[in-house]
Formats: sequence, structure tokens, C-alpha cells
Amino acid sequence: MSNNQQIFEDWLEGKITEQQCQQQLQYDPQWLARMDNARMLRADASAARFDVIPEFDSSAMFAKQWHRPKLQRSWWPQLSLALSCAAMLISLSPAQLHLQDGSLTLSWHNPQQDVDNAINAALSSYQQQQQQWLVQQLDYQQQNTSSQLVLLKDYLQDELKRDQRTDMLQLVEYLNQQRQADWQYWQQNYQPMQAGYRPADSYYVNPTNTGVVKP
Amino acid sequence: MFKRSDESLIAKALNGDQRAWQQLVNRHQSALYYFGLRLLGSKEDASDLLQDVLMVLCRNLGQYRGDSSFKSWLFGIANYRAMDMLRRRKYSESDDSLAEMPADVAALPEQLASQQQQKQVQQQLRSLPLEQRLVLELKFYQQFTFDEIASQLAISSNTVKSRFYAALDKMRLQLENDHVEQSANF
Repeated sequence: MSNNQQIFEDWLEGKITEQQCQQQLQYDPQWLARMDNARMLRADASAARFDVIPEFDSSAMFAKQWHRPKLQRSWWPQLSLALSCAAMLISLSPAQLHLQDGSLTLSWHNPQQDVDNAINAALSSYQQQQQQWLVQQLDYQQQNTSSQLVLLKDYLQDELKRDQRTDMLQLVEYLNQQRQADWQYWQQNYQPMQAGYRPADSYYVNPTNTGVVKP
Repeated sequence: MFKRSDESLIAKALNGDQRAWQQLVNRHQSALYYFGLRLLGSKEDASDLLQDVLMVLCRNLGQYRGDSSFKSWLFGIANYRAMDMLRRRKYSESDDSLAEMPADVAALPEQLASQQQQKQVQQQLRSLPLEQRLVLELKFYQQFTFDEIASQLAISSNTVKSRFYAALDKMRLQLENDHVEQSANF
């Protein structure tokens, strides 16, 4: 493609103006002549046309080719859907319908009040549960303490009895030791002296092994 | 005002919307009619071509795939039908359309000059071979690009350009001859 052809085609596509094109092609009479002809054709193409376009029924042609019977539309599904949506809307919204004594009342209640009520109810229920649990715990604690006290009492009683018995044994042993000591002291100190003053058949002089025959 | 695209009108028409079809026809029928008038030379032929193209369009509306612009696709059909008509009917050299130009309208001097110029251009166009005339018609009157014309006529872009420049050169020679004849008459 020559440079002039490129310039000419740029002008045809509107990339450059007519003056620019003419200026660049001014030394080439062939391309200038082409440009003149193209300008003339452009002017003719943009000129107004007065011919009346003949009318014919293109709609009939279209209807014959593309006519489709209208769909028999049933409104029941749409009605059903609309009523379902309305029911959902009413149930989700704060609006409430009351039918009482033959009168229908539409009322709006405060959802915040409901929330507060629900929270209060939950809190009171929780409080009751906690109180019951505390009472149970106290009962259990008391039972536990009393049983431990019984055990402690039994233990103390046993210990006391054991101590008493030990003490009694120790006392008896002490008494026996004292008696033995007294006996030995008597035998060593007073028996010989007493023997001098007693008759010969006195028990205290000749004690029998089989028993004491008291005078 | 919002103008619907050709593609959306076609989609609606394919669903049976008659108004969309009518809009589509109204949008393109004048271009098609004047195309036929210039190419075939008579109002009857132009009208026949318009009806013929619209009938083909109506039948094949569903075949438009959107690969090119709708106008380009439509003129592809029109070119084929016009060529077909010209081959079937021997083209009459009698210049009906020029004779039927609105000369009877109360014309101002400027309009008369314009009509005279139009007549001259049309005469020059008619003297061109059909293929060259078709290329000039599509380029200047329908404002298609060379590639679009090549696609419509199923030829290469270079062939379109060679026909285009040959047509312009031929017109230049005719103009020169006309000038010579006019000078000789004076």
C-alpha cells in the first residue's frame, strides 16, 4: 500500500481532515482526482432523498412466520405465591392480627419490650435454679458435717475408754506394786519383831501354803 | 430517548414481539429501498427488492449470530438478492429513477442545482460495472468499512479496494469526457 493510499484511506475513515488530506496529496493529481470523486459521492450520499418508501404490510409477513399463540396464563400460582409471601411478612413483622369478639385488630408491638421480657424471664429462671442448687448444697453440707461429728464423737468416746482403761490398769499395777512393797517392808521390818511376840502356832508365824486360816 | 439495539429488537422479535419487528423494519427499510433504487434503477424493482429482502430476513431472523453488525448482515442479504435480480432481469437502461426524481416539487434554485448534481452522479454511477458500483454504494452510501464490504461480498479486502479505486478512476475519466463534450457543445 502506497503512502498516498494510506493517507486517502485515513481520510475516508475520518482519521484526518479533508484539508490535511488535500495538503498531503496536492502533488499527486491521480489521488486528488480520486479524492474529488469521493467528496462528490459523499455529498450525494448525504443529500436528502424525497422518494416515498412504498408501504407494505410487513407485520402480516411477520405474523405469518413468527406468530405464536398467547400462552394461557393461570393466575393461581402467582396468587398462591403472593399470599404465602404476605403470610411470611406478617409472621416476621411486628404486626399482629387479633380476632376478638368478631372484630379484627391489627396491632404493632414493640419487639424491644419482648426482648426485655424474655431476658427477665430467663434471668428469674436462672436465679431459681441457683437458689435450689444452693439449698441442696447446704443440705448436703449439713448432712456431711453431722455424720462427721458422729464419727468424731465415736472416736473420742473410744479413745476416752481406752485411756480410762489404761489408767485403771496403771493404777491397779501401781497399787499392786505398793502392796508388794508394803508387804516386803512389813516382812523385813515388822514380821521378825511381831514373831517375837506371837505364839508359836500363830498363823503369822507359820503361814500355810494352802490358804489363810484366819484366827 | 433511549434507543434499543438491533440485537435486543431481534431477540424480542424472535419471541413473537411484532412491535420489535416493526421497529427493526422501520429502522432499516429506507436504507434498503434507496440501495435498491440506486442499484436497480426503478422504484418497482427497489420495492420488490425491499419486500424480497424483508421476507428473507423474516424467515432467517433466527440465523443472525451477531458475528458482524446487523446492518452488515442485512446488506449481505440485500447484495445477494440485488445481484440475483439483476442477473434475472435484464437491466433497463431507461433511467426511471432519475426521471422520477421530484422535479415536480416546487424547487428552489439551490434544490435544482442539487438535483442536477445528484442526477449527474447517478448517471456516472450507472455507467460503472456492477461490481464496482456495488462497492461504491456500500462504501459511500451505506458507510461500511472495506473489511465489512469484503465480508458481505465474500471477497478479499484487497479486491474490494482495487474495485473501489478502479471505480473512482473510471468516474474521473467520465468526468473529463463530459467536460470535453460540454466544451465541444459550446
